[in-house]
Amino acid sequence: MADKVELEEISASDFFYRNKSLAGFDNPVRATYTIVRELVENALDAAEMKGVPPKILISVEEESREGPLSEGLPWYKITVADNGIGLKPDDIPKAFGRVFVSSKYRLMQSRGTFGLGGTMALLYGQITTNKPFRITSAREGEPAYEITMMIDIKRNEPKILQKRILRGISRNSFTIVESHFEGNYGRARRKIVEYLHQTAIVVPYADILFIEPDGNVYFFPKSTEELPKRPKESLFHPKGVDLELLQRMVEITNTRNMKSFLTKHFQRVGEKTAREVLKLAGIPEDKKPSELTKEEILALFRALRSYKKFLPPDPSVLAPLGEKLFEEGIKKELLPEFVKAVQRPPSVYEANPFIVEVAIAYGGALKPTGEIQLYRYANKIPLLYDVSSDVSYHVIKKIDWTNYGLKSPEEEPVAFFVHIVSTKVPFKTVGKEFIANVPEVAREIELGLRICARELRIYLNRKRRKELMRKRYEIFKMYYQIIAEVLTELVGRRPPIEKLLTKVAGEAGINDEGGSEEESSGAG
Amino acid sequence: MKEEVRRRALELAKRIAEAIERGEFPEIEYPPNSQSNIEFLEDVGYVFKPKTYSRITGSRIKSLKTLAGLLYGISRALDHLENGLTMTKRDFYYVHKVEKLKGTLFPEDQRETDARIILMELVLGYPREAFSITSDPRGWIYGDIELIDKSGRLIRADQVGEMGYSVPPRPENIKFKRIGVKAVIAIEKVGPAKNMIELGIPEEKKIGIAILQGQASRSMRRFLRMLSDEGVPIAILTDLSPWSLRIAATVIYNSINSAHIPHLASPEARFIGILTRDVEEGFFKDYQFALEPLTPADLKAAQDNVYLPNLQNEFWQRENQWFLEKKKKAELEIFKAMSPTARKLKDLFVEYLRMKLDEHLGISI
Repeated sequence: MADKVELEEISASDFFYRNKSLAGFDNPVRATYTIVRELVENALDAAEMKGVPPKILISVEEESREGPLSEGLPWYKITVADNGIGLKPDDIPKAFGRVFVSSKYRLMQSRGTFGLGGTMALLYGQITTNKPFRITSAREGEPAYEITMMIDIKRNEPKILQKRILRGISRNSFTIVESHFEGNYGRARRKIVEYLHQTAIVVPYADILFIEPDGNVYFFPKSTEELPKRPKESLFHPKGVDLELLQRMVEITNTRNMKSFLTKHFQRVGEKTAREVLKLAGIPEDKKPSELTKEEILALFRALRSYKKFLPPDPSVLAPLGEKLFEEGIKKELLPEFVKAVQRPPSVYEANPFIVEVAIAYGGALKPTGEIQLYRYANKIPLLYDVSSDVSYHVIKKIDWTNYGLKSPEEEPVAFFVHIVSTKVPFKTVGKEFIANVPEVAREIELGLRICARELRIYLNRKRRKELMRKRYEIFKMYYQIIAEVLTELVGRRPPIEKLLTKVAGEAGINDEGGSEEESSGAG
Repeated sequence: MKEEVRRRALELAKRIAEAIERGEFPEIEYPPNSQSNIEFLEDVGYVFKPKTYSRITGSRIKSLKTLAGLLYGISRALDHLENGLTMTKRDFYYVHKVEKLKGTLFPEDQRETDARIILMELVLGYPREAFSITSDPRGWIYGDIELIDKSGRLIRADQVGEMGYSVPPRPENIKFKRIGVKAVIAIEKVGPAKNMIELGIPEEKKIGIAILQGQASRSMRRFLRMLSDEGVPIAILTDLSPWSLRIAATVIYNSINSAHIPHLASPEARFIGILTRDVEEGFFKDYQFALEPLTPADLKAAQDNVYLPNLQNEFWQRENQWFLEKKKKAELEIFKAMSPTARKLKDLFVEYLRMKLDEHLGISI
């Protein structure tokens, strides 16, 4: 019986269609936001892959509904253009016309929250409007192709409706995605603008232009040309694969025996380690991967989990932003008077490498809001939902901020920023909107925030001292003016109080000589 | 005196101006009226004996405000002095409630400017009356006393109105020409004192009546001291209450607040009543029903009295203990409760005074 379990095979598109809520399409408002976000992230990834400062144009236009149902939610046309790497005409249908179960067979950190890129966004549009979408793309020095297509949901295959070569050679690479969808922009608006604003913080090297349906334009200009270091690609760490992935790897590998399977597909595995792992799993070294039984695959999986001597995973796959760029982005979008970012050294949770970057900004254009102002990012994607469930929120709540010269984070013009980069961000739920309370991650966040907070305390102490000295000087001035006036009346001449005030100003570091000139005329 | 005060004030101003001219932060030293500078001696009352000094310096913010306040206060006082104008403490408070002092010396309440007056007294070494800030001219003297006041007029204190001569703010200027009374009785309350006058007791019994109207004012205390210095026996007649103990003790010993002002105590004065034994076994023993209960404030005053330096001797403490135990008080108006007719009232007054003056001062009337 067990052998004969039959699974209904469904296409990935079909799967998505049936499970819209998993990917953030559960209602028209959320869907509108998710579509914008997925396409923008694709665009940013494309530009970063090319290694140029991204220029992203997004426009959402309302259009009239078509088809039998003339009533209902409005339809929109979304256009997202980027200056990214561009696609070969043959790659366009593959890249946009099929939903991959896992496009992340190799390990490298990129935005793509779901590994499904913008395809889901396009699919949603197709499902709600039954209209095709259009991709126009060119690689540097090549002509541009415009492909109008749909996704065949049952077969999980792209269906090209029209393909055109645009005249001329394109000097710069680009990609333009145009799609139609049914949604609710009015109610998604606030989240979308907030999303772009928060993105602009974490991608300070990108120009982002957004045109709303009613013609409003938001422009988030870049403030630097500098890009963060590109992450390296790397193999999976043996502890970082799950059973399903291991199974797939065994199926498609072209290695001939298990020893080379392990050394070739995993980082931190050499001959000796491979031998020890296989011994632990009870699998002969020269067994062909294709001949592994289900039980052996399970045994191998268990051996990989229980083996103690793997080196920690290679963090070079991670793409943190860097302290300088993080500060740059915060300064440009929020105009604080103080900002300090800290990048923690790479760390590991459950064999997943991660880096935590945190920052604290204070004052300037920031105002107290009565709530903790927390900006969260995972792999450069802003997280906008469920802030109070996030590990960062709990860490901030736990810290006694009075030690750092703040009454409470709610009542001060202070904002916190936490960026986690990882090949596997420890999201708590499928919605992928907040980070779970993983002790290793929490620890790094806390250590980072405390470093920033110490700098903030130094800054605040200096500032408050200066203010105090300034106030002290003002008080001296007021009282000595009274004294001068009274002595003028009693003694008949005005004593030169400026000498004393200059002394006080000197102590306060204020250059304010002659500041009391206005007083001398009336008294003499 | 006016010239002397002026000279001292101007000297101080000049000293401060010179320090500023030298580029130094000005400093003033003065003896504060703190406990360490005040002694209490049973036979002279409070005495101001400076041992420690305080410093006001223009280089510290808190001190600087004191300095500016002091100078401002002095300048206003001198202005009044030179123009022959006086002001009350309340006036002095309002002198600070001016637009240009907002954010600096503009007072929060009168306590602030009252404290400034005391500082001025301590720094200049003169009572406030000397620099034109007068106390409420509260208090009258009635009886066969001839005096010459500041303006040089001859006044007989039983011929100037129903309550007698109103004691001026600065009684130092008064000279006694003739004193025809055997004793002066300082009475806390206006009502009973007026009754005695109205009943003709001062004329008949050759006594003077000083009407305190509550706590004796500085000018009244000064005036009583002057009488005492002239050899006039002073008797103090008050309610039997925790407050009245303080009134009597202040006349005899002066008070902590004005300890730095000399000649306010009259150690020769005698507290004649109402005493607890008058109520318990003496004159009023059949009238206990006319006693009043202590109010919470009265009781609090009695509890505080336990610690007042000038109430430490056995007599005061014994009297005070009675309040804490009985939680009652007797008011001078009790005479009214005892006398159905005016005739009877006069008899009771005379009887009581005769007995008390004899007992405490050896004077027969």
